[in-house]
Amino acid sequence: MAAKYHRMKLFDVILILFFVVLTIMILYPFYNAILISLVSENEYIRTPFLLVPKKIVLDSYRYIVEKSMIFKGMRNTIFITAAGVLYNMFLTTICAYALTKDFPGKKILSYLIIFTIYFSGGLIPYYLLIKNLNMMDSMMSMVLPMGITFMYMTVIQRHFESIPSSLIESAKMDGANEIQILFKIVLPLSMPIIATFVLYYGVDRWNEWWNGMLFIKSVDKQPLQLILRNIVQDATTTNSSASSASGAMPFGDGIKMASTVISMLPIMCIYPFLQKYFVSGIMAGAVKE
Amino acid sequence: MNEYRQKSIWKNIVYYRYIYLMLIPVILYYAIFKYAPMYGIQLAFKKYNLQGGITGSPWIGFENFIYLFKKAEFWQALKNTLVVSFMKLVLGFPVSVILAIFLNEVIFVRLKKIFQVIFTFPHFLSWVILSSIMFNLLSNSGAVNNLFELAGIGRINFLTNKETFRFLLVYSEVWKEAGWGTIIYIATIANIDPSLYEAAIIDGANRWNKIRFITWPGIKSVVITMLILQVGHMMSAGFMQIFNLYNPSVYSVADILDTYIYRETFNVIPNFGLTTAMGLFTGLTNCILLLTANFISKKFGEKGIV
Repeated sequence: MAAKYHRMKLFDVILILFFVVLTIMILYPFYNAILISLVSENEYIRTPFLLVPKKIVLDSYRYIVEKSMIFKGMRNTIFITAAGVLYNMFLTTICAYALTKDFPGKKILSYLIIFTIYFSGGLIPYYLLIKNLNMMDSMMSMVLPMGITFMYMTVIQRHFESIPSSLIESAKMDGANEIQILFKIVLPLSMPIIATFVLYYGVDRWNEWWNGMLFIKSVDKQPLQLILRNIVQDATTTNSSASSASGAMPFGDGIKMASTVISMLPIMCIYPFLQKYFVSGIMAGAVKE
Repeated sequence: MNEYRQKSIWKNIVYYRYIYLMLIPVILYYAIFKYAPMYGIQLAFKKYNLQGGITGSPWIGFENFIYLFKKAEFWQALKNTLVVSFMKLVLGFPVSVILAIFLNEVIFVRLKKIFQVIFTFPHFLSWVILSSIMFNLLSNSGAVNNLFELAGIGRINFLTNKETFRFLLVYSEVWKEAGWGTIIYIATIANIDPSLYEAAIIDGANRWNKIRFITWPGIKSVVITMLILQVGHMMSAGFMQIFNLYNPSVYSVADILDTYIYRETFNVIPNFGLTTAMGLFTGLTNCILLLTANFISKKFGEKGIV
């Protein structure tokens, strides 16, 4: 803005220092987790406040590769994310496109959809539903119930409404039906916003554990974050110092942190580069609110 | 468009036949996964047994509710829900507003962007991941306690300490969400007419004056809308967060309605009737609060009076 007239004042220095401290407070927990996953148990115990590792050891990761279910969980989660996002985008885009049209019954349908964000059947009816649908212990129980996120759908709908109707009308003249128009004209014109919500849905599905915990009993079908949760919650109840007493036992904290790091790695890697897409998504959603 | 509206409804339906075709999967989705569970709500008024299921179990009227309202744990969970929500509102809500105002004052655009990327990052991680990191950091032998020990404060077991646990919930919520919450305010500030600031500089306004008389009035109505909407969410104090962070030693201060319902449903001999009743109570209260909040915020939005 007026930076050319602006000389650094004490206020600016304090402000930046304040945000640097905040940055450290936000990032240190992640740094600490990565660090613990990379050092030996000996070093971890001997250094009360670890900042720079003396020696990087990959034992924890080696243990995970060899013995833990983490990678099986990751395979499941990749499946859930891929299948889930496809399913999400299919339902969301057709719903959003249909709602841009003035078909008879549109009002009722809109109200019925909006009603579901204010009120739901609750936990037990949901649980019994999945049970009655015979989806217990099936990967589908983590994909099919998570169909449309209302907020994402309305943003996409508003974007579709902004597409010039002349484009759609001329396609209609050429004899295209609505389904063809959506897939051949509207979607290709909306790629940036579609990409944004693929990211949103992708993150949501990647973070799946709740349905898994409710419905999946076989360990080899569990999603990554549920397996992580079981590792973490398990060891908080058992005595963690017991493992250090007998030297042969693996380094519990190291393994837990390595599992955590692996679980957040994809988001950690893509987020800094795609942050502006995420922000543009929420911004488009906030316009009308 | 108008020419079709003149025609009879049947012609209209035929005209939109492909739209209806497209809507079939959507309607199926909502019918099965959103509306079918509502059929199960009748369990709140029934005595559930496995053989009978939802339809066949006998009706018992309001007995589940009467039993529920007599339970001390229920009132404790209700109280915890409201107290935790209230603490998050009072201590957590202003953080985003203040951060946004201050971020706007950072004069290096590049640096501002970097701060924003960092502050919004934790929003995209699940509570499973964040709780795992917190368990390690805050445990008795974790980094924070080691630092406290070095500083002579002594070790505090944050995860089992009843006095500090609710503050831990507020703090970790702020850690995850405060940065993300700034986005809407920063965008609102970006929409403020820059000539206002320029005029203020000519008039000799200092930083504080600009915040007080331009930035704050510019975002006030959005802040109030967001505040009302958060009040509307009072009944959900953060199930995912608490469920991943709490443990039996802090149930008395952190067990909210949603976590209580979960435990009653799956960890003891299940009484589906009772927990459905509890879910219905929570759901209805939540629904009323949300609708009221939405109504009020729309009133504010339309008339623009703040």
